[in-house]
Amino acid sequence: MRGNDRVATHNCHSRSNRESRKVAAFDGLSNMELLLNSMVLPVTFPLAAGILCLLLPKAFDRARSVLATVASAITVLIVCRLLLEWKQLPGNAPMILSGSAWGSLRLDHLSSFILLVTTVFGFLISLYSMGYMRGKERLREYYAWLLGTIGIACGVILANNLLLLLIFWGLLGFALYVMIGIAGPEAAEAAKKSLIIVGGSDCLLMLGVTIVWVLADTLTLSSIRMDLADGIRYVAFFCFAIAALAKAGAMPFHSWVPDCGAQAPASVAAFLPAALDKLLGIYLLVRLTTGMFVMNTAMNTLLMLVGAGTIICAVMMALVQHDLKRLLSYHAVSQVGYMVLGIGTGTALGIAGGLFHMLNNTIYKSALFLCAGSVEKKTGTTDLDNLGGLAKVMPLTFVSCLVAALAISGIPPLNGFYSKWMIYQAMVDSGRNGNCLWLIFLATAMFGSALTLASFVKVLHAVFLCKRSAELRHRDIREVGFSMWLPGIGLACLCVIFGVFAYQLPLATMIFPAVGGVVQLSGAWYASVATVLLLAAYALGVLVYLLSTVRKARSCNTYIGGEIMEEVFHHKGTDGKVENVEVTGVDFYKTVEDLSPLREIFGAARAKLFDIYDLGGKVSAYFWEILRAAHGGLLPMYLTWVLAGLLVLLWMLFSGGRVAI
Amino acid sequence: MENALPFFVAIPLGAAFFIPLVSLTLKWVPDLLANAVMAVLAAMAFLTIGQAGFYHMGGWGTHLGIDLRLDGLTTLMLVTINTIGLAMAIFSVQYMTKYTSKLRYYSLFLCLIAGLNGIVLTGDLFNLYIFMEIVAISSYALVAFGCEHDELEAAFKYAVLGTVASAFILIGIALLYAMLGTLNMAEMAVKLAAGGMNMPLTVALGLFLCGFGLKAALVPFHAWLPDAHPAAPAPVSAMLSGVVIKTAGIYVLSRLIFNVFTVQLVPDLFSILRLFGVVSMIVGGILALGQWDMKRLLAYSSISQIGYIVVGLGLGTPLGLTGALFHMLNHSVFKSLLFLNAGAVEYATGSRDLRHLGGLSRNLPFTANMSLLGSMAISGIPPFNGFWSKLIIVLACIESGHPWLALAAVAMSLVTLVAVLKMLKRAFYEEHKPLTVHATEVPVLMRAAMLLLATLCVVLALLVLTGLRTPFLIAPAVDALSTWAGTAPGQGMGI
Repeated sequence: MRGNDRVATHNCHSRSNRESRKVAAFDGLSNMELLLNSMVLPVTFPLAAGILCLLLPKAFDRARSVLATVASAITVLIVCRLLLEWKQLPGNAPMILSGSAWGSLRLDHLSSFILLVTTVFGFLISLYSMGYMRGKERLREYYAWLLGTIGIACGVILANNLLLLLIFWGLLGFALYVMIGIAGPEAAEAAKKSLIIVGGSDCLLMLGVTIVWVLADTLTLSSIRMDLADGIRYVAFFCFAIAALAKAGAMPFHSWVPDCGAQAPASVAAFLPAALDKLLGIYLLVRLTTGMFVMNTAMNTLLMLVGAGTIICAVMMALVQHDLKRLLSYHAVSQVGYMVLGIGTGTALGIAGGLFHMLNNTIYKSALFLCAGSVEKKTGTTDLDNLGGLAKVMPLTFVSCLVAALAISGIPPLNGFYSKWMIYQAMVDSGRNGNCLWLIFLATAMFGSALTLASFVKVLHAVFLCKRSAELRHRDIREVGFSMWLPGIGLACLCVIFGVFAYQLPLATMIFPAVGGVVQLSGAWYASVATVLLLAAYALGVLVYLLSTVRKARSCNTYIGGEIMEEVFHHKGTDGKVENVEVTGVDFYKTVEDLSPLREIFGAARAKLFDIYDLGGKVSAYFWEILRAAHGGLLPMYLTWVLAGLLVLLWMLFSGGRVAI
Repeated sequence: MENALPFFVAIPLGAAFFIPLVSLTLKWVPDLLANAVMAVLAAMAFLTIGQAGFYHMGGWGTHLGIDLRLDGLTTLMLVTINTIGLAMAIFSVQYMTKYTSKLRYYSLFLCLIAGLNGIVLTGDLFNLYIFMEIVAISSYALVAFGCEHDELEAAFKYAVLGTVASAFILIGIALLYAMLGTLNMAEMAVKLAAGGMNMPLTVALGLFLCGFGLKAALVPFHAWLPDAHPAAPAPVSAMLSGVVIKTAGIYVLSRLIFNVFTVQLVPDLFSILRLFGVVSMIVGGILALGQWDMKRLLAYSSISQIGYIVVGLGLGTPLGLTGALFHMLNHSVFKSLLFLNAGAVEYATGSRDLRHLGGLSRNLPFTANMSLLGSMAISGIPPFNGFWSKLIIVLACIESGHPWLALAAVAMSLVTLVAVLKMLKRAFYEEHKPLTVHATEVPVLMRAAMLLLATLCVVLALLVLTGLRTPFLIAPAVDALSTWAGTAPGQGMGI
């Protein structure tokens, strides 16, 4: 059965019609045909497989991981089949399934691309989990929720009904909570924090949905288009935007991401905060800004402000982290800034850049988290102090980490460069169109990119290049197994492919159709040509080095990570030779922390003054103290309250309509 | 069905006094009998779905005798009371072995059920008072059941404040009777509509709002609840928080407000409800945050949830009523479940202080999962039942033009989430503490009771499939509240 011939009509505006239609959205319970509909299958199939995983007894853990991987691969195929079916529709019109118990589902350019990426990542993570999670506890729940998350995410992407979107969205927060908690007692706090921030934004989303429901008189996403005309519409917009930004992890709703990244299993961190939550958060933000609401300059500027602030603050925090997974999480936050910045420009180019950056970030950030997971699996730690020298023993992990690190830092010709390039151009364009702050935003974004590179120099040095730490020196560390290095290498290859063939592959086929307009690139960047030129330049450099034509070398102080290592390198032993020095990389950028305004800011950040979770905790604790002090436990006092309450009641009753709330 | 109505009171009341007689030698009789009684009552309650009618006790007319009446709201309440009661009876079989006298416990418990059923069935204000006193006195005794210092203190506070409320209510009833010359609520409604309000009637209404507000634990009349609900044995706490405050408080308030006084007579009525509702919602929610006693945390959250219900009632729209009544049903299920979880934790470890608990998800996986489910339901995470009733209430707030109430509702939803996540983390997901290392999973009947309620949390969410604005079981109750006064069946009889 094909859904396209059942496009719903949404033009009934009278109250009675509306009543009946809202009821009708829920009638007609599931039938088998509907469950197997090609649009519903991406949701139901992984969920069903997840339930099967839950039911398999504990002895079948190996079979369970295989089952999950196969099921997630089949989900990719199901999505591919759906996309092919959709491509055959005349003119690539959105494919809509409606008038059923499922509300309404829609597949268009934007959702098709995100759907495909989501399921592919689901498959890669399942594959990785086969090795990474082997022998851990609670695998039954882990695989059930992993598959469940894929299905629920497909539901979010396909939903064309706000209520359906709200349900799937909330379920995703719950799934996040359970999956972080699987790591064990240490992760309990991170799980709680994540659900409080994400679940709190879900509450706001509920408010937003109800406001839009009442104002627009419909729940169908595709038929809502609202001007930001009055206060209540702004409230609705902010509710949706906060839900999207909290899910994506933009500041100031970011603080769950570092905790989650540091405590959750690496595969969960790579899948949820690094990949899926970004995809969905940005997806909703794009839907909001291009579909549901008509944006104005002030809102666009606000979004850009959030984006630029996120980039710079999060990358500064990343610079000083000591834990690999936490450091990567701060970068996950920082990269959201670019996406929000791009979307905030409001131009087709900027939104395309934001979406492309989202795709790229998903690729390289997952790769980085998977590398971190591999390192953790083999060494038992992610503390930068205790790592080092792994490049020799884990070459495949190193290569994928290196490529991903270069990509995230925006080194041409990798994919991260291309999307940042698009965003920069969009900002220049927005400056031409009268945005006076564009130069500040552009400078911030570029500076953030440089700091990203700096922080990954630290990571690569501390984990892979410097000498092994004392703890690891005598351990036999080997490369991880096939199922664990393959996803990383595959993602690294994607980084290269999407960079070199950026226009031909992702942009022309997925991103530009998704923003629906003809995108004009003002600054030319011919990725393929540039790659050849860059390669030639590198080759030339090697040639120069090999020929050793430069004979007159300049001598200067040794420095690493931008700092002169006087005391380390110039300390000579008794025989006059330089002693066996170690530079772990943890000390990089120590000076940054000590610079004057930054020192105070870092101090405040360490005291969690910028953490909305902690601030909320303090505010509620303040009110709690006041109320608690009132509850002294004395019976006469409580009796007084009762009498006072009675007097208030009588006063209100006799005041005759003067009291209104 | 009408002829079966007296049995909702007669069976539990009879069993309450029969149990001590037969079970002095046979120890298993109280368990069996109480469970059998509750099963029969629950089955009977389900049979009343879709029925309506009234029963004149002893064949006396409405004016002189006692009327029992059955409508949509009564059915909803009967189903709630007796289903939750059944779950509590199942839970009690093994849980109450740690107390000395199961015999007395079941007697008091069944008295409580008889009183609750009586409150929702009677059509007569004075009988309602009598049944309410049966409920109140058995609750005082049940709260004091542990006979330790805390229990006795809590029961004393509860008794004093409860008696104040009863006195206010009795004065109110006397005033009404003096003014209107009848105690039958349907007749009162007719006479009030004809004669309008005057000063004594307004005072009576104020006394009712205060008295039943205290029974419902609305702020500022809530002070007894955080002591009384934690002190009682777990199934009684569940019953008190899940059912009693709703039956003796919310049910009677909504009957009086919608069926007797009506907003046409008292224009301020709805704003009063909204004010007290939103204050309860906020104060209860914030107070729950800082609690360390698992049951006390849940008790404060009950105040907050009652606030949601009263806000929904105070909107006065059909959708608001739907949300309020749906939330009442849902809250009775998930709050009972959470209290049973707290009871199970206490049973397994001997403590319910969150500072001394931890890691129980590994020893008590079943209880932990049930708690997770109940917590998600109460904090409105989809797809559980709490999500739907909160959604309806928020939607009703927006539709009737009260965006600030909607904002308060979603904000307190977050606060509830914070409170229950604290409980989950401290009790179940953190590292083990000395007290919890050797705890073992609770016995099978306790698990069965929790499973029953957890299943209901999921099943009740399906009610919205019958229409978000007209859910099965809820819609007839909303109809009963909106139309009762106009079409009182006893109107023409016996006068």
